[in-house]
Amino acid sequence: MGVFEWIRLIVGGVFLISGLATFFTEIFGVFHFRYVLNRMHATAMGDTLGISSCMVGLMIFSGWNFTTLKLLLVVVFLWFASPVSSHVLARLEVATNENLEDHCTVYPELKMLEEELAAAADPAKQADPASSDQTKA
Amino acid sequence: MECKNFRYAFRDIADTDDNIHMEVEMIYHNLYITVLILLAIMLFPCLVRAVRGPRIADRLVSVNMMGTMVMVMIAVLALLLDEGYLVDICLLYAMISFLAVVVLSKVYIGIYEEKRHKAENPDEDEEGGMSDGSF
Repeated sequence: MGVFEWIRLIVGGVFLISGLATFFTEIFGVFHFRYVLNRMHATAMGDTLGISSCMVGLMIFSGWNFTTLKLLLVVVFLWFASPVSSHVLARLEVATNENLEDHCTVYPELKMLEEELAAAADPAKQADPASSDQTKA
Repeated sequence: MECKNFRYAFRDIADTDDNIHMEVEMIYHNLYITVLILLAIMLFPCLVRAVRGPRIADRLVSVNMMGTMVMVMIAVLALLLDEGYLVDICLLYAMISFLAVVVLSKVYIGIYEEKRHKAENPDEDEEGGMSDGSF
């Protein structure tokens, strides 16, 4: 029984410490990169790998009970929530930044697509090309 | 805690199984305390990034990061105090943190759209508070 206890302690401790190391790497990346869309890479790593390894270590410590199940539920929830929040944050950054071209490449096709979508969303602008087509015809 | 130390001091006369159990308990306790201290130290750079971040998205990213670390802290605390219900609080914290990031992003997009709309046609009258359809 004693040997099993020690093995459990060592394996769980390795998982927990590696999760902490991932968090440290995340903070390093956040201070290393220069722009939000780059920093998001580092943050996503901590949100998935860091908390997953910490929770796996704590699950090994806790053994077979409901606490383990709830820890697993936290990890599964973050698997779904973290990409969504990253996506929303990236949309916030792209929508509010006036000079996005200084930091990253914006492809012209994407800009054309954006203009098309804006024209489709706005009915007043959508009516314009149709009327001009009619006048041409 | 005092009781534990008392038993730990007289471990020579305690029997061996109890001895090993007490040692493992002490190691677990010290490991949890160390992890909590390390996480608390690592929260400060996140706070610095939240204060210094040049854009709003920087601040929201660092708030998200702090939320993740606090979740791990609550989970460690649940095992340290041996209270299973603290993990429920951890789950609730995850949900509220996710909600906060999404709602704040939407609010800032709405504010920006409104400001740009006002800058494009400044002679429009002020009413129309319900006009921000993006929020």
